Amino acid sequence: MGSGAPTFECSAGCVVMTANRVRTLALIVVAGALLAVWAFPVLWALLTSFKTERDVLAYPPSLIFEPTLSNYRDVLFGSASILPNLVSSTIVAGASTLLTLLFAVPAAYALARLALPGKRASGFYVLATQMLPPVGLIIPYYLVLQKIGALDTYAGLVVIYLTFSLPFAIWLMVSYFEDVPREMEEAALLDRAGRWRALWFVILPQVRGGIAVTTIFVFLNAWNEFLFAVVLGGNRVRPVTVAMFNFISVEQTLWAKLAAGAMLAMAPVILLGLIAQRHIVKGLTVGAVKGGGRT
Amino acid sequence: MLAGAPAATSVSREQRAGRVGMRGIVKRHGAFTALHGIDLDIEPGEFFALLGPSGSGKTTTLRILAGLEPLNEGRVLLDGEDVTDREPGERDVAMVFQSYALYPHMSVYDNIAFPLRMIATPKDEIERAVRDAAGKVRIDHLLARRPGQLSGGQQQRCALARAIVRKPRLFLLDEPLSNLDAKLRLETRVELRKLQRALGVTTVYVTHDQEEAMTIADRVAVFMDGRIVQVGRPQDIFARPATAVVAAFIGSPPMNLLEAEVRDGALHVAGVVLHPDTPPGDDGEVTLGVRPAALRIAPTGVPARVDLLEDLGDSTIVDLDVAGHLVKLRADHHPNVKEGESVHIAFASDACHLFDRRTGVRR
Repeated sequence: MGSGAPTFECSAGCVVMTANRVRTLALIVVAGALLAVWAFPVLWALLTSFKTERDVLAYPPSLIFEPTLSNYRDVLFGSASILPNLVSSTIVAGASTLLTLLFAVPAAYALARLALPGKRASGFYVLATQMLPPVGLIIPYYLVLQKIGALDTYAGLVVIYLTFSLPFAIWLMVSYFEDVPREMEEAALLDRAGRWRALWFVILPQVRGGIAVTTIFVFLNAWNEFLFAVVLGGNRVRPVTVAMFNFISVEQTLWAKLAAGAMLAMAPVILLGLIAQRHIVKGLTVGAVKGGGRT
Repeated sequence: MLAGAPAATSVSREQRAGRVGMRGIVKRHGAFTALHGIDLDIEPGEFFALLGPSGSGKTTTLRILAGLEPLNEGRVLLDGEDVTDREPGERDVAMVFQSYALYPHMSVYDNIAFPLRMIATPKDEIERAVRDAAGKVRIDHLLARRPGQLSGGQQQRCALARAIVRKPRLFLLDEPLSNLDAKLRLETRVELRKLQRALGVTTVYVTHDQEEAMTIADRVAVFMDGRIVQVGRPQDIFARPATAVVAAFIGSPPMNLLEAEVRDGALHVAGVVLHPDTPPGDDGEVTLGVRPAALRIAPTGVPARVDLLEDLGDSTIVDLDVAGHLVKLRADHHPNVKEGESVHIAFASDACHLFDRRTGVRR
């Protein structure tokens, strides 16, 4: 660039190109560093899950070792199998998600559209329940569930999860419904769709991104929940988060099995995240720009 | 469409002719009254414009007609039948919204087919009707596209096709041309008129553009502050505006209004005494209205000073200062005056419009 007699256009072009390349490189370095910090524990757990318990405790930690699948075999099919717990988690998270959507979607639609008395106040109180620290609720919830005999039942735990997921889901969905122009719904009403078919054929297709985001958030929250599960669950209802905790005992911690269990527990989460990546990013920015969340 | 059908064999069709009646419609938003008792009759097949400035209640009236807006008092009649409490979908009316309100997740074909699918029309019949409607508005080559892939004008046509596809008894158009650019607006205006003539469906058209209303409509209702101040054929409203406000709203440029006084059967304006052919009525303060085209520069008359000449090519608008008031004069030729020059203006006696100064009502 500096040698010879470059034409004006070329030299300007080269400067711009170099600047761009430097910026791209810097971005890659920064992103790489951040990614490494985030990914390190995950990758370490992944490595640990393929080690024997003896290799795990080796010091300095060995990066080169003979991988084994025995941890996975034990965790899945051994005496301390977490398979029933994965099923338990699936039931709890699945039921919470389904019920949440079943109630949250119509509720959010009503809050966004209909002129209900006290709408503004109810909108606030829906969110206010999110502000309570969960720990403060454990004892009352425990007593209530005990009184009605719902401790260690799926129904009991799912209902408790609903008290958290419903307000959150409603709050999230309202902004999506508000983004749908009112005239579009009116057009559907005039086209003789009626309110239910207008909702189904015209409104819901336009908030499907919001439904995807809500589904994922609610499912993940329920799947990852530990505190309520460990207190309100028991021998019958024991989600995988609680089961993994049992690998840690007073005498010893079975790191390799814990890691293998964690990998298995994470798999659906990561899978879901990958599938819905596009929707999640869009969902987090919805409302930033008027109509920016929809396509 | 229905006018030519023999009355004896088409009783049911006659019933759906699209006759509109609105009786004493009152609409309040809290303490604010948006509509103060609207009475309106629209004949079958008529192209009827609701004209008025923004906030005058014309769109609210249209939405009440559609059933999208609840009302506080009054009745809505369609073909003599009280539909006040009917849902929008039960009224057999179609509407084109200002924003078009197309369904963005459906193709143009599905958008147009939607109203037919909602009433469980057989598939081949839908196909035929959609192609027919799309052909009428010339978007039959765009049926596979999504609304987002259409230009503004094409979206507008798609909305029109969705309205005409199910052959309703009434079209409601809410400022359908306002989102189009000026050239397209003029073209579409003409096409809309032709389309309405061809279909013969009663059409209620909301606009704030007086020129649009005057050129497109069979009859016009002029809205001011939640009231209908005048209903009539465009030429009648132009010729005899009912109030000074209507006079100032209609025409381009609108009518000149000057403060004047009637004393002893003569008209006193800007220090000049005029003797109209027809007696100007009782003594009192009046507003004198004269159309720009009715004014001419003359050797004698009301004194004025030329402020500005606007050459429009085929005609010229002369801005005049008459006793401190702006008066516009429209001349077909290039008038032989210069800016800053003092002149006199005159007008024929029958070009005078006199309005009561206090009430604004025509004398």
